Amino acid sequence: MRATCWMGKQKVSVEQVPDPQILNARDAIIKITATTICGSDLHLYNGFMPTMQKGDILGHEFMGEVVELGKGVTNLKVGDRVVVPFCIACGNCESCKLGMFSCCENSNPTGWMPEKLMGHATCGAFGYSHLTGGFAGGQAEYVRVPFADFGPLKIESDLTDEQVLFLSDILPTAFMGAEFCEIEPRKVVAIWGAGPVGQLAIASAKLLGAERIIAIDRFPYRLKMAIEQAGATDVINYEDQDVQEVLRDLTAGRGPDACIDCVGLEAHGHGAQFAYDKVKQTLKIEQDRPMAVREAILACRGGGIVSILGVYAGFVDKFPLGSLMNRGLTIKTGQCHVHRYMKRLLGHIERGELDPSFVVSHHMNLDDAAKGYDMFMRKQDDAMKIILRS
Amino acid sequence: MKSLDALRSQPRSDSSGPSKLGRGLGWFSVALGLTEIATPKLLAKLVGAHPTRGAALALRVAGVRELGTGIAILMMPNRPLPLWLRVAGDALDLAMIGVAATHRKANGLRLAGAAAAIAGVAALDMIASVRAARAFEAANHPVVFSVTIAKSPREVYDFFRKLERLPEFMDYLDSVKQTDTTHSTWTAKLPAGGTVSWNAEIVDDRPGESIAWKTVADAPFELDGRVTFAQAPARDMTEVRVEMKLGVLGRAPSSLLAKLFAKPQVKGDLRRLKQVLETGEVLYSDASQHVLPHAAQPAKPADHVKTTQLPFIPTPPTADKGAHQ
Repeated sequence: MRATCWMGKQKVSVEQVPDPQILNARDAIIKITATTICGSDLHLYNGFMPTMQKGDILGHEFMGEVVELGKGVTNLKVGDRVVVPFCIACGNCESCKLGMFSCCENSNPTGWMPEKLMGHATCGAFGYSHLTGGFAGGQAEYVRVPFADFGPLKIESDLTDEQVLFLSDILPTAFMGAEFCEIEPRKVVAIWGAGPVGQLAIASAKLLGAERIIAIDRFPYRLKMAIEQAGATDVINYEDQDVQEVLRDLTAGRGPDACIDCVGLEAHGHGAQFAYDKVKQTLKIEQDRPMAVREAILACRGGGIVSILGVYAGFVDKFPLGSLMNRGLTIKTGQCHVHRYMKRLLGHIERGELDPSFVVSHHMNLDDAAKGYDMFMRKQDDAMKIILRS
Repeated sequence: MKSLDALRSQPRSDSSGPSKLGRGLGWFSVALGLTEIATPKLLAKLVGAHPTRGAALALRVAGVRELGTGIAILMMPNRPLPLWLRVAGDALDLAMIGVAATHRKANGLRLAGAAAAIAGVAALDMIASVRAARAFEAANHPVVFSVTIAKSPREVYDFFRKLERLPEFMDYLDSVKQTDTTHSTWTAKLPAGGTVSWNAEIVDDRPGESIAWKTVADAPFELDGRVTFAQAPARDMTEVRVEMKLGVLGRAPSSLLAKLFAKPQVKGDLRRLKQVLETGEVLYSDASQHVLPHAAQPAKPADHVKTTQLPFIPTPPTADKGAHQ
């Protein structure tokens, strides 16, 4: 089959690789009908995520059709149309029983790696380095899905791929980030990053009843979408405006009730702070550039909530722990517990209360994946969400 | 239960605390190291070496080593290893004096004095190292590997006690055959091909609680192991702990050797045991099914990959996806 392989820093190519096989009784093989390039794939593409290996198949947001089942899977049939959560969860361990599916204790065969870096193992994930198990990803023609009796969500209505595909990752991720904010009607939420996750976090905050939603980015096309399609009430372009000052003015000095970081470890910024972090990250003294989360902490109102959705890999520097402590902020974060939200969000989509397909900007052939990565990284042609099909 | 008791630290009696001698040597290392880094030429003159640029560089390098050793001693006052590093450093220092003596402008008398001083300190280092090593052995720090499994102690015990299924998660094993109720023959795969076998005996068997076993004479190594199954606090689960002593190459079984040789293997074994009991079998990824590092892409038909040998135990997922919103 053809698959998008990581070949080195800023080098991906579509290669001919062997077809996937059933390895475990609870596996399924899925023929991919639609997959995407995710913002977090760019961290792999740009070489910031450790333990990548040449030839790793990328892609963790995908849907398709069941073509083969292991003998332990009884709830799916060949031909079923399914969306697959990016994180792999067994459904049997204590973390799964607690609903913390992205902390699954059994889905990461190379768990000793994150154990060394992060203290304890994380769950397995598709196409996301060897820290998360070394599973082949879904930017391919076929993929093997472990614990297929628990993860995949069957789609029985006639919704389009574009409407349900993001149930795999960015929609539950964005929704969880908004849910973290304990939004009650009339609350104010500020969201750093108006990429696909940021847009859907805005839409989720609106769905949950936020009164004022402030989007922060530097690309006018993204801020335009935030206002016109996602439901933001205000936008801040940090290239022209001082974020802290504008947020203080918009909230009459209080600061937003909750802040969401939808940026992660490759945050962009200005001046000395940005240069400092960029140098340290290049020298591998710190893994992550935490500009967005620093700003979010400083901006948040006393006793407020900072929700971190952006992906971080390791250690950061100049973290404003003093502000966090002295002002009694709460941090909520995590890789999304996708399984927890899929059915509920599918309900919202089916009832027409939410349509995440507005973030789609490009449709491309799988063979053009390399071009897609480059475009998405450079934000060319107003790139937002790129869908690949073979 | 026993393993947990052994893990809990006991208040330390005064005699087993860090020795004054060891601490003093640590501070001495720090002071000497800083002097070597700061004023290498002056120091070279003082010990009678001709203060060339090469000598200064050598002293600076030695200073960094000395400083590192000193910090290690002060940070780990109860460990023998940093003190042994001091002994090794003394040998290097003496060798440097020897090299310095070959220079025609060297001051022989001063060099001899320096050598005598180093030899004196070396004697103290030896005393401190041997003492620390003895104290470390006497403290008998147990080596325990552990995992929590979402099954009752009885279920985990029953699975373990059958022995035939052990190769399922102990992936270096080819087979385990019970020859009678307490004796068994274990066969391991060798990395280079072929197998090696040994016999083991269960010496203490408490259903639902623990199993202790040891290798029988003529095994290629000596293993003294105990696995305990204890009810976990606040959850209907089992805390599994493996305590072991390992003897290799003719050395008596010790916790230290178990830590050196068995740690990664046993940790992996317990991870896989949890997978088998909770999910029905060992989970493989595209990378982990290979013995050596491999890209995350499906294996070629000719690749030799690990696969599950034993039947899958049906274990339908029980977590509720909608219950946590």
